[in-house]
Amino acid sequence: MTLALPGQKAGRQSFKVDLSVPLLLTFAVLLCVLILLPISWLVMYSVTMVDPATKERVLTLAHFRTLFSDPDLVEPLITTMIVAVCSSVACCLVAAPMGWLVARTDLPMTRLIRALVTASFVTPPFLGAIAWEILAAPNSGLLNKFYRTVTGAEMDSYLFNIYSMPGLIFVIACYTFPYVFVLVANALDRIPGDLEDASSILGAGTWTTARRVTIPLVLPALVAGALVAFLQAMILFGSPAILALPAGFHTMTTKIWSLFQYPPKPELAAAASLPLLFLTVMLLRGQQMILGRKGYSIVGGKSGEPRLIRLGWFVVPAMAFVIIVLMLPVFLPYFALLNAAFSPLATTLVTPETFTLKNFYFTFFELSTTHLALKNTFILGAAAATIGTVLALVISYATARKAVRGYQVLGFLATAPLAIPGIVLGVGLFLAYTRPPFVLYGTLWVLLLAYITIELPAAYQQLQSAFRAVHPELEDASRILGATRLRSLIDVTAPLLRTSVLATWCFIFVSTIRELSAAIMLFTSETKVVSVLIFDLKESGDLGAIAILGLSMLVLTFTVIIFVNRIPGFGSSGLRNT
Amino acid sequence: MASVDLRKLTKRYGALAVVDDVSLTIAHGSLVCLLGPSGCGKTTTLRLIAGFVEPTEGDILVGDRVVSSPQRSLPPERRNMSMIFQSYALWPHMTVAENIVYGLKLRKTDAATTQRKLEAILATTRLAPLAGRYPGELSGGQQQRVALARALIVEPETLLLDEPLSNLDANLREEMRFEIRRLHDEYRYTTIYVTHDQSEAMTTADVICVMNAGKIEQAGSPEDIYDRPNSEFVARFIGMSNVVRGKTLTEGRVDFSGVPLRVTNASAGMGGDIAVSIRQHNIRLMAKEPADNDNVVPATVVRQVFLGSSRDYLVEVADGTQLRVVTPSGDAVAPGSKVWLHMPHDCCRALAG
Repeated sequence: MTLALPGQKAGRQSFKVDLSVPLLLTFAVLLCVLILLPISWLVMYSVTMVDPATKERVLTLAHFRTLFSDPDLVEPLITTMIVAVCSSVACCLVAAPMGWLVARTDLPMTRLIRALVTASFVTPPFLGAIAWEILAAPNSGLLNKFYRTVTGAEMDSYLFNIYSMPGLIFVIACYTFPYVFVLVANALDRIPGDLEDASSILGAGTWTTARRVTIPLVLPALVAGALVAFLQAMILFGSPAILALPAGFHTMTTKIWSLFQYPPKPELAAAASLPLLFLTVMLLRGQQMILGRKGYSIVGGKSGEPRLIRLGWFVVPAMAFVIIVLMLPVFLPYFALLNAAFSPLATTLVTPETFTLKNFYFTFFELSTTHLALKNTFILGAAAATIGTVLALVISYATARKAVRGYQVLGFLATAPLAIPGIVLGVGLFLAYTRPPFVLYGTLWVLLLAYITIELPAAYQQLQSAFRAVHPELEDASRILGATRLRSLIDVTAPLLRTSVLATWCFIFVSTIRELSAAIMLFTSETKVVSVLIFDLKESGDLGAIAILGLSMLVLTFTVIIFVNRIPGFGSSGLRNT
Repeated sequence: MASVDLRKLTKRYGALAVVDDVSLTIAHGSLVCLLGPSGCGKTTTLRLIAGFVEPTEGDILVGDRVVSSPQRSLPPERRNMSMIFQSYALWPHMTVAENIVYGLKLRKTDAATTQRKLEAILATTRLAPLAGRYPGELSGGQQQRVALARALIVEPETLLLDEPLSNLDANLREEMRFEIRRLHDEYRYTTIYVTHDQSEAMTTADVICVMNAGKIEQAGSPEDIYDRPNSEFVARFIGMSNVVRGKTLTEGRVDFSGVPLRVTNASAGMGGDIAVSIRQHNIRLMAKEPADNDNVVPATVVRQVFLGSSRDYLVEVADGTQLRVVTPSGDAVAPGSKVWLHMPHDCCRALAG
């Protein structure tokens, strides 16, 4: 038997094919096409121009000179900064006390409050902006009408003007404060009660402990939250497009969009996109640095439950504060949308006599583009969810199990789109796919690419943590008992990952149907999606149809989220607003 | 016969040799313990044997079949081995019975045989009432037994255990040690057992291999390892030993704190530094200077603790070396008193390196 060995050895050796290299290459190339190609075109366009004499592209810094000298472009930059700083500060002022109240005091109904914050989290910001238009437009806004009725003021006087810088800041803050709230509340949830008890036993009172121990411990989370809020405000397209344009000013995102309106100036748009890209990368790095600092991460799970602070009579103002805060992004806008959906005129209150299903009928049976947009949205949502999940699954397997050499590169590429604002990606994809070899502009494919790219990081992170939760020894145990690699994937890994995969699919699907920033750059009349349709209807003033479409979108989103939360072993997870 | 043979086995990650030129023959039916501190390469050695890791150099033979070599490694599923993992690795989506029969299903065993074997192993491991439960509903000890049953039901040639008891509490750990030995004696497969706990190794193993920094420091019976450690590392790791330093005088004598100590196993040259180990309970502590002062070292008591069945002394000799001495609980000597330590020469063991 020993003698037979050499031959046997040589025979087997030839069958051993290393699949890891081609696999790695395929996915690396795929990710490069998704991410590096549009960004390269973006950079290329921003530093070149067509020489009128030779008709050839030549290097130039003229676009950047224009960007930082033309008041038309400098002003939006300044506006964006003001809006982002103000809304970020507003978010912190509201979210920090609210997070503390919910996590650390005996305030009642905290579960409901957290659920309602989630509701404002998943409301598409452009829908919220439209709802606030219905509520607080200077003349037709419901709140202003109410004010005039109560006070008997002049017909042209108003209490709120949503078409203004403060109005825009307010609406943006309404839909970005959940980011800060979640970070702060989670940080507070994780601080072990012992740390506070240790301070109390040394003689510090409730308020001293809060000031000296609790607040310093959550400060990193708050600062990180402020950065995220700033980032969100900076890259948002929907809200400024709806509120700033009627007010006669631009932010960076709307300016980039308008540079693509006739006559298009793609070079300038590309140049204007780069500062956004740069700032996003910086802000994300800053956030990582703050949250990743070892001194502040609290380890060790088995510490005592945090002691809840008794509010006493203070519960009344606290509850009032929470209700007012939740009224602004949730109760009032949802009420406005429901009213608009069933009222003949969006800006008058519906009564039993005027209640109508006309808008419903109009949206789904008379409006010619609805069916096309719905069909496109569903096709794109399902395709992006399926392809995105598969892509994320393979990459997260490779990285979580270190299955191929160079897996870190795959992981990096899969998370990179996090740093690309939707509108910037839209510009890049537009530039990359309107020319050979890839002429995809005008097809659903380019939208599909955009959606997959945007959703990949979240999907990848979700599935990677799912893989991490499946101990590698579970697979080893089945191997050693005689199962092949494939068999143990089927028997052990797949059943354990099923719920996570399903959840990831659902999240990509609902995120996709809400996406506006990239879609607005890439749609054509044949490839309209629901979010773009809502934006279009806003231009034509069909608020009733918008309300119907927006509410359907919300119903679908909430259905999916509730469904996913019902899956055992899967908690709620974040959606990305664009 | 399924002996396991490691020949010059080496595994490198970059420049670091995690397993460094390990050669070991494990006879059929014996239970071998790989014992060492964390990071010594024992788990990697086990995973090399299982086939989860491929060697950089050297071969592994099972019987006379090469299963691992740098050129070619048989995948784990074709080695006819079983393994018990540190985490137990019970599949949470399968019941106890489903977990246990999984290996038989892969071997396409017919239903009647499967049922018979399942009932037998459930009885042996006392799991019969729990067959329908899920692993999440079991206690640590029960999960441990399911892992054992799942590994044993396929009647492997070789059983590998990776720190199988480290997640159990002290009482259960002691019980399961004897359980593992009992099952081994019942089925007589070749067993390789990885642990960092010396008493676990002592109670279960036929042969103990003490590993350090990727190498086997010493392989031998528990008695060998305990009574005749080869190196300072083994003496310290097995514990309860004082390791003192001295200079060799003549053959078999070492100068320790001014006393010419007679030792066994000495082979180093004259005047060289040498380490000598002596167990804490082999030293006799005397309050008066004895007439025969052969191998007697004077010392001062630093600390004395009453432990019920014994007393634990910390003493200091003239050159400042501190020694631990365990004595019967009867004789109490106050701290600060002068004492004489008799170190029987056959218990003073010169160490290499």
